[in-house]
Amino acid sequence: MSLASTTAAAAAVAAAVARPGQWAIGRYDVAGELVYFEVSWDDWERDVAWARAVLADHGIGTDSGLVIVGGMPESPWFDPFETAARELGAPYSIGEIYAFEAFRTDLYTRRLPITMIFGIDRTVAEGLGDELAAVVARVPVTVARPDAVGLLSAAGAKPFIVTRLGPAIAVECPHRSGAHLNSAEWTLAERGGELFISTAGPRAYQISQAALGLRGTLTDGACGCGRAGQRVTITE
Amino acid sequence: MPRAGIAALQEERILELVPYVYERSALVRKKWEEAGVKPSDINSLADFTERVPFITKDDIREFRDRAQDPFGGLLCTRYSDATTVFSTSGTTGDATLYAHAWNRWHPFWAATARDLWEIGVRPGDYVLGSGFKMRGPLYHADQMCGAIPVLVNTGIGGWATALDAIRRYRPVYGQLTGLALAELDHLSRTNDMRELFSSFKGAAFAGEPLGARARRQLEDWGVEVYVWTSAGDVAGAWECRQHDGCHAWEDCVLLEAVDPAGSAQAADGELGELVATSLDNPVTPMVRFRSDDIIRMTRQPCPCGRTHARFWPVGRKGDETIVAGRSFVPMDIWRALEQIPETATALFQLVRPARKIDELKIRVGYDPETTTSVPDLRDRVSEAITAAVGVPPVLELLPEPELLTRGRGGKLSRVVRA
Repeated sequence: MSLASTTAAAAAVAAAVARPGQWAIGRYDVAGELVYFEVSWDDWERDVAWARAVLADHGIGTDSGLVIVGGMPESPWFDPFETAARELGAPYSIGEIYAFEAFRTDLYTRRLPITMIFGIDRTVAEGLGDELAAVVARVPVTVARPDAVGLLSAAGAKPFIVTRLGPAIAVECPHRSGAHLNSAEWTLAERGGELFISTAGPRAYQISQAALGLRGTLTDGACGCGRAGQRVTITE
Repeated sequence: MPRAGIAALQEERILELVPYVYERSALVRKKWEEAGVKPSDINSLADFTERVPFITKDDIREFRDRAQDPFGGLLCTRYSDATTVFSTSGTTGDATLYAHAWNRWHPFWAATARDLWEIGVRPGDYVLGSGFKMRGPLYHADQMCGAIPVLVNTGIGGWATALDAIRRYRPVYGQLTGLALAELDHLSRTNDMRELFSSFKGAAFAGEPLGARARRQLEDWGVEVYVWTSAGDVAGAWECRQHDGCHAWEDCVLLEAVDPAGSAQAADGELGELVATSLDNPVTPMVRFRSDDIIRMTRQPCPCGRTHARFWPVGRKGDETIVAGRSFVPMDIWRALEQIPETATALFQLVRPARKIDELKIRVGYDPETTTSVPDLRDRVSEAITAAVGVPPVLELLPEPELLTRGRGGKLSRVVRA
């Protein structure tokens, strides 16, 4: 159909452009120190594959609809989940991470058949104010940042956890036994309650035992979901 | 492409769109039936612009609320066929939804890659990621050009650390908003902005008009600024290097400028209301959507060589306000505030429950770092606005950070009801 042919033509032109190996540069901070990291196109593709499996475990498919609450600078962590939703055939909307943008998360859950909110944090939960309980009541699955769990639980939700860990991300599966890390890419260590991260996969960004400025506990071994590897619970 | 080629391409797409939307869009069918128009009546581009009824945002909202249809009767596919559903800024009421279906690149930003290429973004360049994501992955445009987005916080409150990323990666391009400029204005007191921005081939500015002072400031920093705007929520329209109007990509959108109070086409270069029809979105295509944006438009070739239409945003239909019998537009207040150092970022809101008001109530943001006396500032702001509008204002002065919290989507609504 020619109604989508401009985008198709633009994609063909883009495919011919010489592309560097880097998908993007991301940044996180550890105790106020800015840490930059590179994500390659190969890294991104593996991250998408992992995110696809994570979302599929939560039942995301063609009958689903998502609100993904993540800001532009969080794209190195959240774009793989957006792309995974697209690949799974689930329409998604973006809820911004500012309190004054929380109305979008409310709007989408009010107007669309949303089956999952992914990534809601305390700022947006607070921004929803009195609407928070109504929002979570409409949506079967909430996957939340650790700082929003208290508010969401008080509003009647039983959230699963998604948490950024420096350059990595971890997501709880339906078995609720800690947030899974992609063990093919990253390894965590815990010393005295402090968490440290190392690269395990062939990523563009290689680090070893880097402090995350986070406290938590680790669980290893098989999970009820069948996935092996580390799971993390953030305690602070 | 010559104009005749563009017109032929548009006609081909319009003639495909007409039966497509009539069969699938409940709102289009309702409006056409009310107007007595059938797809078989439309056999040319001229038929389309003469006979097809307009759709307004109020039409969409009314249909949405009456039919309990989240897309206001615009959805031409199943919801599950969409890839993304985003929403308008919601500055004039409950935001409306629009959707796209796509595989690799988001259509809205795929067309934008052409504009970034015009600015000079090339493979291997670093570019500074934009501040907001509510309209999707803007970095697709960067990546389509082969550039590498540096995804750091350039939204509200992020520019102090964004400067660190500029020093480190020396990006060639970035996106700015009025709220970003307010932050950069403060940071310019302690940073060499000319040196920081010396790697930039250009920066985009969108979301609201670019004030004269802000434009001068960016020029002082050596930044070539490219203004872009929305073409009726259907596509983006960007300035080229000539900076003489925003180019719409007419293979994505059919643009018209029509009499704001009627349906006649405005003459080339004359004021008209922007009316947009989607040519590249089979999911929620807009069909003769009256945007409320007042523009001047020309289809004369641009000195840059492009033949696609250009337009100059003039304002929003209904922005004109009448207070005590005197008429003014928000830009009049903007210019007055720019003259005063403590309010030079021109962050303000005209509080206007109706178009005709008895009292000129304005909420003004001031820089708390440079303001030594709020009462003195109040007197000077009042004097400047009175001189500009002819009516003394009732002022609510707020520190800029407090006023910024009332912003949405990278911009502060300049006209609010309360």
